[in-house]
Amino acid sequence: MSTDVNRLAVITWLAGNCGGRGRTALMKFCYFLQVVRGVPLGYRFTLYSYGPFDSDVLSDLGSAEAMGCVTSTVVYFSGGYGYRIEAGEFAEKMQEIGRDFIGAYADDLRWVVDHFGSWDASDLELASTLVYADREAYRDEAELTVQKLSQRVRELKPRFSIGQIEGFAERVRSLGILQSIR
Amino acid sequence: MQDCFELDPLVASTRQYEFRCPIHGFIHLNDWEMGIISERAFQRLRRIRQLAWTDYIYPGGMHTRFEHSLGVMHVATLLYDSIVRNSRELLESEMKYDEIGFGRYRKLVRLAALLHDVGHGPFSHAGEDLLPVNERNEQYAHEHYSAAIVRTLLKSAIEDHPDCNNYGFTAEDVAALIEGTAGAKQGIFWRDIISSQIDADRMDYLLRDSHHLGVAYGKFDLHRLVSSVRAIPGIRGASARLGISEGGFHAAEALVLARYFMFTQVYFHKTRVAYDVHLRGALREILPNGKFPKPEGAELREFMKWDDWRVLGHLADGRGGDHGERLRERRHFRRIHATNEACTAEDLADLQKIRAELGSMIAAEESASKSWYKTGKTDISVFSEREVFPLSRYSSVIANMKSNGQILLYVKPEDVAAGSAAVRKALGKS
Repeated sequence: MSTDVNRLAVITWLAGNCGGRGRTALMKFCYFLQVVRGVPLGYRFTLYSYGPFDSDVLSDLGSAEAMGCVTSTVVYFSGGYGYRIEAGEFAEKMQEIGRDFIGAYADDLRWVVDHFGSWDASDLELASTLVYADREAYRDEAELTVQKLSQRVRELKPRFSIGQIEGFAERVRSLGILQSIR
Repeated sequence: MQDCFELDPLVASTRQYEFRCPIHGFIHLNDWEMGIISERAFQRLRRIRQLAWTDYIYPGGMHTRFEHSLGVMHVATLLYDSIVRNSRELLESEMKYDEIGFGRYRKLVRLAALLHDVGHGPFSHAGEDLLPVNERNEQYAHEHYSAAIVRTLLKSAIEDHPDCNNYGFTAEDVAALIEGTAGAKQGIFWRDIISSQIDADRMDYLLRDSHHLGVAYGKFDLHRLVSSVRAIPGIRGASARLGISEGGFHAAEALVLARYFMFTQVYFHKTRVAYDVHLRGALREILPNGKFPKPEGAELREFMKWDDWRVLGHLADGRGGDHGERLRERRHFRRIHATNEACTAEDLADLQKIRAELGSMIAAEESASKSWYKTGKTDISVFSEREVFPLSRYSSVIANMKSNGQILLYVKPEDVAAGSAAVRKALGKS
C-alpha cells in the first residue's frame, strides 16, 4: 500500500473524528502525528510565520475530497472565513483501504485528537511553532529552558509578549512533548 | 516595466549592473549581488536546464536555472515593494518592522530568492528522487542543498562584502529563509514570497517556461497580480499571511489556471514524464551507489561537481545503461493507460485490473500527485472592505477545480501492441 493512500486514510480518519475542524487544524494534526508521534506520513514540513506547513497536506486533502472521502465547506464569520472538513460519502471505503495503517497508528491518532482536538487554530499555530523550534534545538544538541525556547519563538512571532509565549510553552511542556528542555 | 533597484534605502552609492531578461526586461543588481552571482556555485546554474529533457517535446525548452534565479529575485523584489506599499501598517504592528527593518528584509528576500535554487542537481527536478536521506531517514530536497551552499560556499561572498555591514545579516539568515527554519526569526513572514501559492518562483517559471517553450498556457497578468499582493490580517488570532486585494482576483485566478494548464500540457505531458523516468534511470547508473552525495562537508563539494555537462558526458560515453540509450536514441517508454485527471474510486479499481493484466509489461508508473509541479488545493485569501474571503468565493472556476490525481502507466515501445490488448481485456473491451 503506498504512503499516499495511507495519508489519505489518515486525513479521512481525522475528518471523521475531529468534529469538523479546518485546514489549519488538519495541517497541525498531521505535523504532530509525524514529528511528535513518529507516524511515517512522509511530509516535508518547513516553517512559516503561521507555523509548520507542507502544501502536500492540502494536496492530499484535495485528493481525498475529489474521491469523496471528505467534504470541505467554507464557513464565513465576522472578518473572515475558515473551512469545515468532515467525512464524506466514501470515507468508510478509504478507511477500509487504509485499515492496516490506521490500525497500526490508532493510539497516535487518538492521542492527537485527545490532546489537540479542541484547540483553536491560533493555539495550534503557536504550539506547533514551539515544537518546531524545540526539535531544531534538540537536533543541534542545544539544551534550552522554557524562557530560552520562548525567546526563540518570540523572534518568529513578535506580536506575542514573552509572557504569553512562556505561559503557552508551559502548557505544551506539560504534555511531555518538548525534547530540548530538561 | 517596473525597476526595483532605486528603492533600496540602505545602499546609496553601490555600482549597478543589469542583465537583459526575455521576460522582465532589465534586471538590476548591485555589486554585492553581482559578486555572489560570479561565484562558481552560482555560475553552475548556467549548466543546469530548467526543464530537463523537455526540449525533446518542446524544442525551445533549453533555458537554465541561471536566468530563472535572476527572474525570481526580480519578481520577489516587485512583490516585496508592493506588499510594503499595500500593507505597511499591518506589517509594523504584526511583525514590528521599522524603516531599517523594511530595508534589511528587502535585501534578505532578494538574496534568498536569488539563491533558492542554487542547490539543484543536474536537470533540476528530474533527478531529485536520487537525493539521499538524512539521519532521520527523511529525503533531502534541493532546498537543503541550497541552504547548505549558502552557509558554506557562498558565506564569504555574502558576509565579507562591505554592503553586508549596512544590513547586519549573515549567510545563516539567508539559508534559514530558504530552508524554513526558526533561524529566519522575524524574516519568516517573507517566506511566502519564496515558497507559497503566490510566490515569486511560480510567477517567474510559468511565464519563462511559456516563453521558451512557445506556449501561451502559462501566461497571466504579472503586474496586476503584483500590484494587488498584500499582507492579510490573521483571522481569529492566527498569523498574518500573503493574500491579494479584491481588485486582483482575476489576475490570481489566471495564475491558478496558468499553473493548471502548464501542468497538463507541459510538466505532466506523457512524453516529458517518460523522459524524466529515463533520466532518473540513467542517473542511477551513473551516480556512485545510485545516489547524489549529501549536503554536508566534502560530500557537498562532490555534489557541486554534478551538472548537466558532466551527466551528458557520461551519457555520450554510454554509461547510462538502457535508460541512457533510450535517451540517446529517442526510444522512450510509451503511455499505455491514463486515469482521468480527477481520479475516482472507479478509476482506481480499473487501474488495479489493468496493472494485474499488464503484469511485468509495466515499465513505469507515474502519478500526478507526486510530481514536483503538481496542482493541489488553492487557498488564496482576498482582502475586501476589512474582511477576508477565499478566492473561490469570487471565482466559480476556482471553486470547482479538483486536484489532479492522474496516474500514467508506461510500457516499452516493443510492448505497445500487447499492452493495448491487455488494457482492453482488463476493461472488458476485447
